[in-house]
Amino acid sequence: MRIGSAKETYAQDGALFDSRTQWALLGVLGLALLVFPFVASQYWLYLACLVAINVASATGLNILTGYTGQVSLGQAAFMGVGAYAVAILEKQLGTPVLLNLLGAGGAAMLVGLVVGIPSLRVKGLYLAIATIAASFILHFVFANWTRVTGGTAGLNVPPAKIFGLALDTEFRLYWLVVPITVLMLAGAANLFRTRIGRAFVAIRDRDISAEVLGIPLLRYKLLSFGLSSFYAGVAGGLWAYFFRSVTPESFPLLMSIFFLAAIIVGGMGSILGGILGAVFMTLIPEVLKLVVGWLPNANEAMVLLAPVRTIVFGVLIVGFLIFEPHGLAEIWRRIRRFFHLWPFRS
Amino acid sequence: MMDFDWLMLFEISLAGLGSGGLYALAGLAFVLIYKATKVVNLAIGEMLMMGAYFFFAAASTMGWPIWLGIVAAVIGSGILGAVIERLLIRPMLGEAPISVFMITVGLSSILVGLVELIWGADQLRLPDFMPSDPVLLGEAMVSPKIFYGFLAAAVLIAGVLLVFRFWRGGVALRATACDQAAAYSMGIDVPRVFSMTWMVAAMVAAIAGIIVGSISSLSPTMGVFGLSVLVVVIVGGLDSVPGALIGGLLVGLVESWTGTYLGGEFKLLATFSLLVLILMVRPYGLFGTHEIERL
Amino acid sequence: MKLSKWLTALLAAAGIASAPVAQAQEEVVIGGSIPMTGVFAFAGIGINAGMQDYFKIVNDAGGIKGRKIKYVFEDTAYKPDVSVAAFKKLTGGNKINLYYGDSTAFSRTINPELDRLGTIMMAGASFATEINDPKKFPAQFMAGPDYSEQIGILLRHIAKEKPKAKVAIVYSDSEFGRDPVNEFREMSKKLGLTVAAEIQTAPGSVDVSTEVIKLRRADPDYTIFHGYVLAPIPEFVTQMKKAGSKSHFMGTFWTMDSSTVMKMGEAGDGFMGVMPYRYYYDTSAKAPMLDKIRQMRPEYQSTAYLQGFLTAMLFTESAKRTLEAGKPLDAKNLKAALNSIKNFDTGGLIGVPITIKGNSVPVGRIYRADMKAQKMVPASDWIAVE
Repeated sequence: MRIGSAKETYAQDGALFDSRTQWALLGVLGLALLVFPFVASQYWLYLACLVAINVASATGLNILTGYTGQVSLGQAAFMGVGAYAVAILEKQLGTPVLLNLLGAGGAAMLVGLVVGIPSLRVKGLYLAIATIAASFILHFVFANWTRVTGGTAGLNVPPAKIFGLALDTEFRLYWLVVPITVLMLAGAANLFRTRIGRAFVAIRDRDISAEVLGIPLLRYKLLSFGLSSFYAGVAGGLWAYFFRSVTPESFPLLMSIFFLAAIIVGGMGSILGGILGAVFMTLIPEVLKLVVGWLPNANEAMVLLAPVRTIVFGVLIVGFLIFEPHGLAEIWRRIRRFFHLWPFRS
Repeated sequence: MMDFDWLMLFEISLAGLGSGGLYALAGLAFVLIYKATKVVNLAIGEMLMMGAYFFFAAASTMGWPIWLGIVAAVIGSGILGAVIERLLIRPMLGEAPISVFMITVGLSSILVGLVELIWGADQLRLPDFMPSDPVLLGEAMVSPKIFYGFLAAAVLIAGVLLVFRFWRGGVALRATACDQAAAYSMGIDVPRVFSMTWMVAAMVAAIAGIIVGSISSLSPTMGVFGLSVLVVVIVGGLDSVPGALIGGLLVGLVESWTGTYLGGEFKLLATFSLLVLILMVRPYGLFGTHEIERL
Repeated sequence: MKLSKWLTALLAAAGIASAPVAQAQEEVVIGGSIPMTGVFAFAGIGINAGMQDYFKIVNDAGGIKGRKIKYVFEDTAYKPDVSVAAFKKLTGGNKINLYYGDSTAFSRTINPELDRLGTIMMAGASFATEINDPKKFPAQFMAGPDYSEQIGILLRHIAKEKPKAKVAIVYSDSEFGRDPVNEFREMSKKLGLTVAAEIQTAPGSVDVSTEVIKLRRADPDYTIFHGYVLAPIPEFVTQMKKAGSKSHFMGTFWTMDSSTVMKMGEAGDGFMGVMPYRYYYDTSAKAPMLDKIRQMRPEYQSTAYLQGFLTAMLFTESAKRTLEAGKPLDAKNLKAALNSIKNFDTGGLIGVPITIKGNSVPVGRIYRADMKAQKMVPASDWIAVE
């Protein structure tokens, strides 16, 4: 039972994790992540990589929507920019993998800055609709700028090569995707210990007051858009190395809605929320498949799986918004609080 | 300029105005909801779809006569609208607008899933009930479905405008939209106004859905029509009924012209570029009310 | 130390759990990513039934050189990433040699993996021109003509019926729709036909009035639709006919299922298109396989069913020839066996004996819709393209 944690310096107060137990558990998690690829089947490795990519992108969206309050339905389109950037860089220049990923992030960041410009004129729902428009315009570019993007047929991506070793199995890709995701998560968590992060939160809470306090709105809103699309670009680049084929249909508006749903379900405005939401939303279809497989008339039930999945997706969004607006992270916090006070009642 | 095909321009403009009428009808349903309950309903396309599927169930599957099918579809949609309002929108009163927006996103998923579950994912054809001879306006030919759809849209919009002006319920709706607290103190049953608005909007969407369904075909992906409707209401103003009409006609014309002179793939691009333009120049639309944010 | 014992036990348990399922003695395992739900469900269910029926026929007759066929599949709802996941799951748990893929996107995405594995030959629901390239897609094939070949068959028929005719193509703005447009242009030029119009429709667009107005102006003798299943073809045809156009209307494989065309109603009378197979109810010539299908399934089976059935037949034949030559079942040998198929009798499913030189079966026949009889009737001979 944790009675209290006294902090003696400002550095301790601003630390990410504040007790020995938390660091120990983090260590166990790290060990599990290291051991996982050696014991998991190809299918679970595939899922793990997919979850990691989704976590990275959801965290980016969380920075923009959860922490800065700018609703964006363009995350998938920014991922698309990153994915195409990686595909083009690999094909035309053959530059090393990490450089390509940085390039992907950079390209997406530039596009994100442009899309963010309307954010000073419009906000809230109007901004969301502007990002939908940006999504469609980007999709048009992907499908019609045939010389560069390969048009509707898209581009094939050769496997990533690190020191000559081709990353063409899930096992090998795991070691590229997961460490990068962890790095991006650490970056995002640390962002909100800095001045910039606090400015983002201020803008979300009341942007007119934030401006009165001296926070230059346009600069910080654009910065938020840029950072979040950088995350999306890197996630998109990883996606390209993972699926090895990029087409305009790979990043539909539905995917942007998926990420928004992930951070709502997980809990907007917290890094843990982004992680939980992405993991939950990616694994739900698999869990559904398992459950349907256990039913007595599994074969007929399988046919109904796809519409049921769509309904469950909608119900999750609606359910969490009505009953648990702070998402899974809040549920987790409640459990933690319970165990902090145990055996006393809360 | 002499050999420029003026007749073709006239014909495609008519076609554009006609489909613009459909956009205006769906836009009307959207504006009704926004005006009364301040909810941006992204599921408007799916509500349209439900109306079309109800009509299919009544007229095709159960074999009822066409007029009865339309009535059944409209009533069924109205009930659906009221149910949605009670279950999904009422609990979110007072929450941030973005949360309610996401509820409508979730709702659209639920409706699509339900349709796929009950009717399957294949494309279905509605029974033909409109006369199929092209309508002649001078030398120009207009597709009959578009023509009658436009007529229906015009009649309905005129009807709604009159109702708002003269009927007590319409006035109550405008009062609630203006200032909820004042409406309460005047004795207006605000929750009832909310339910009624969603019901009426769903019924209007159902009629639009039936027309759209008979032009193309029914499928669970019909709801994507709603995205174009979004552009229409932004252009016209989220809370303006005449705006929905003008916006719809404008978007319809723009789509027609780009489709003919630039190519089919440019249609959506033109529509969304128009959206971005309006957002930058006149964010509240041509006729919308400018909202002032106070601390 | 307690920790290391614990860790070892965990690793051992996980190792056992992830070991592949022990295989029954000498089976040929065939896997499938099938769109049983979603937009392509009508095709997926048919394809699945067709494959299952053929495998049953083979197994009842003793299997392939004594080996029974085991068919495993997963539903993908026509989503490429779900398709890839199903592939990984199935190949992880079984020793698969032949696979059926549900879409062009999946076939393209999984191609590098196929080349790396080298143990699987794949066919699928895709008739994309791109995949009909033995150099780029050495482990893949399709059980019919690719979309460009289908357009070629249509144009050849038009050139024969009405030399120097005016032709138009109406296609959807998607990869599926854009696929054969280049071939359309070049082949029309080669055959001396005039291209009256190339009209693209936005996917999901409701109103096609403006496109119809353009098409009317172009006044084609023949209009080909590609990239659609049903909508917006009936609207186009109705409006054109009512406006007085004398154009004939034609479609490609996925539009040509009998039940789909019949849904067009009055407008669909006379609608033509290319089909590589005989229809379920076709009794115009001797077709022992069709008789067998009619015996097994008394109700109408779609063209998708026939596609699955034929693919299963080609899978089986390739495996049989490979085993007969005493070679192991891997991608190279299976493909070589497939390409050794010359003048092969499909039991009447296709009206002429087929030869598979590359990745496709470039044969088809023009059929026409007879609304009164509610059937599709042949309108030409079997046409083969090079």
